[in-house]
Amino acid sequence: MDTLLQQLINGLTVGSLYALVALGYTMVYGVMKLINFAHGDLVAFSAYVGLTLFTQFYGSNALTLVNIIIVFTLTAIIVAFVGVLLERLAYRPLRTAPRLSAVVSALGASLVIQNGIMLIWGPNMEIFPANVFPSTSWNFGGVIISFTQLVILALSAVLMVALYLFINKTKMGTAIRATAIDQDAAKLMGINVNRVIMTIFIIGSMLGAIGGLFIGMYYRGLTFDMGWLYGLNAFIAAIIGGIGSIPGAMLGGLLLGLFNALISGYISTEWAETFTFILLIIILIVKPTGLFGENTAEKV
Amino acid sequence: MNRTTIIATLFLVVMAVFPFLVDSAWLSIGITFLVFAVVAFSQDIILGRAGVFNMGHAIFFGMGAYTTAILNVHYGFEIIQTIPFAILIPVVFSVLLAGPIIHLRGDYLLVATIGFNIIFEQVLSNDVFGLTGGPNGIFGIDFFRVFGYELTSDTAVYYIAFALLIVTLLIIRNLDTSRYGRALYYINKNEIAAKSMGINISYYKLFAFALGAAIAGAAGCVFAIQYSAVSPESFNFMQSVMFFAIVLVGGSASLPGIIIGTFVMFVLPELFTEFKESRYLIFGAAMVLTMILRPNGVWPATFGNIPKFLKKKAREAK
Repeated sequence: MDTLLQQLINGLTVGSLYALVALGYTMVYGVMKLINFAHGDLVAFSAYVGLTLFTQFYGSNALTLVNIIIVFTLTAIIVAFVGVLLERLAYRPLRTAPRLSAVVSALGASLVIQNGIMLIWGPNMEIFPANVFPSTSWNFGGVIISFTQLVILALSAVLMVALYLFINKTKMGTAIRATAIDQDAAKLMGINVNRVIMTIFIIGSMLGAIGGLFIGMYYRGLTFDMGWLYGLNAFIAAIIGGIGSIPGAMLGGLLLGLFNALISGYISTEWAETFTFILLIIILIVKPTGLFGENTAEKV
Repeated sequence: MNRTTIIATLFLVVMAVFPFLVDSAWLSIGITFLVFAVVAFSQDIILGRAGVFNMGHAIFFGMGAYTTAILNVHYGFEIIQTIPFAILIPVVFSVLLAGPIIHLRGDYLLVATIGFNIIFEQVLSNDVFGLTGGPNGIFGIDFFRVFGYELTSDTAVYYIAFALLIVTLLIIRNLDTSRYGRALYYINKNEIAAKSMGINISYYKLFAFALGAAIAGAAGCVFAIQYSAVSPESFNFMQSVMFFAIVLVGGSASLPGIIIGTFVMFVLPELFTEFKESRYLIFGAAMVLTMILRPNGVWPATFGNIPKFLKKKAREAK
């Protein structure tokens, strides 16, 4: 029973990481109908930026709360800037092009970021500093929760609630929802679609950046090509929840995290990815629109 | 004789005499080029002609290579006896895997095929049933023997690959002028219209998958002979991404486009080894740039693949 609870806690932690990254996919897909293959690499990039910033701060003094906040903010800003640049250079010129051209452009951008990371930080594994957060952990009757896990769970929850409120309560949020439903109609209503898309990329990249920092803190080992792994998992999470749906991405992330933890805890770690993709394919066959997705009839 | 025929004939003649003009290093680059061009053409049947978003094509290539390797090394089959299996097994799997998901919308299909490719990779590197040899793969694949002759030289392998390319081109030529080719063309152009005209979409899409898998499997067999070894990383999903990109960067359903795509993705890296570190960065940037400048590929097919006699009929009708 204890191990089950422990697996659930670990699963929720990983799940909230997936959820943070999945939001970036689902928002871009919701509005642009494009799988942003480069998003996973942005997440990897943010882990590396965070690593460099943290080691910079370690040089002079111990890490304080202020420093941590500075690192998180700086990383989010840098990654958001790259995200906007990505949209400008690789996606905007292709908005009216055949759909597959945008997919290839996304794959190209993914290769650029991935190999950019390799050229800057080198091809070997980098290790994230261990004691960004105090190494305290609490033992609740056999179930151990570390300080890092607690921060990940708490901050992810806060960010997701904030995003939910932003999408549903603000003017920009309404514009985003309107653009997702019908881009041309939104344009006619006076919505600046370019600005909406830019906002999505900023928010998605920032959430991905925080997800990337957490991935660094939680797993510690960074490789330049790790973006695809987390990106694909997050994308599966988005599909489970119904791609385009924000609450769906959050729930899908948590469910996938739990599923992964239970599979690696009770069945096998070598075959974990296989089980994830079998789950994905079953979902695609049974209910391709996911848990929260809407059925849309194709227009003739 | 029009310009296209001249270029095509010239290309084939150059490829035919190529082994006599170059040293052994270039010869092996030539074999690689031929094998990957065949795989790219087979991917083009699925992606470019049927318009099915398949990002797991390395599975079928790998299945062909592994079938040859397993049958030869573990069961002592002659290479020539493994060929039918290297073609049939990918075909069976392509239908089994694609069957349940063929009706999915494009993007979902894309992700599902990536999923299959990653599962395939794990199957290979986890040494299933002790057959696939784990992460190191299988070594010591035999030479090609026919009528008692051992075709051991690189030149022989080159001509096997060249023959396969010719066969592939003939298959594509016949496909273009056949009922199947036209059905695929209409499905690709407008699926809903094709459906309402009574074309069985799933059937033709699966046919494209099976044909593509068969050709890729045969190419896998040649690949296994060339290196006399197979290992999982040659068939991972990044390889599939490459084949996907070759077809779209070169120009889907365009023969010269696919040749150019293969050349850029697989031959240029061999020539510029000093850029090894940054070559994927340059590729990525080139992919983005090509799509922006030429969204339909470098050398797109001018008429799609409408058979000539139909075009003639349409002109007469006018």
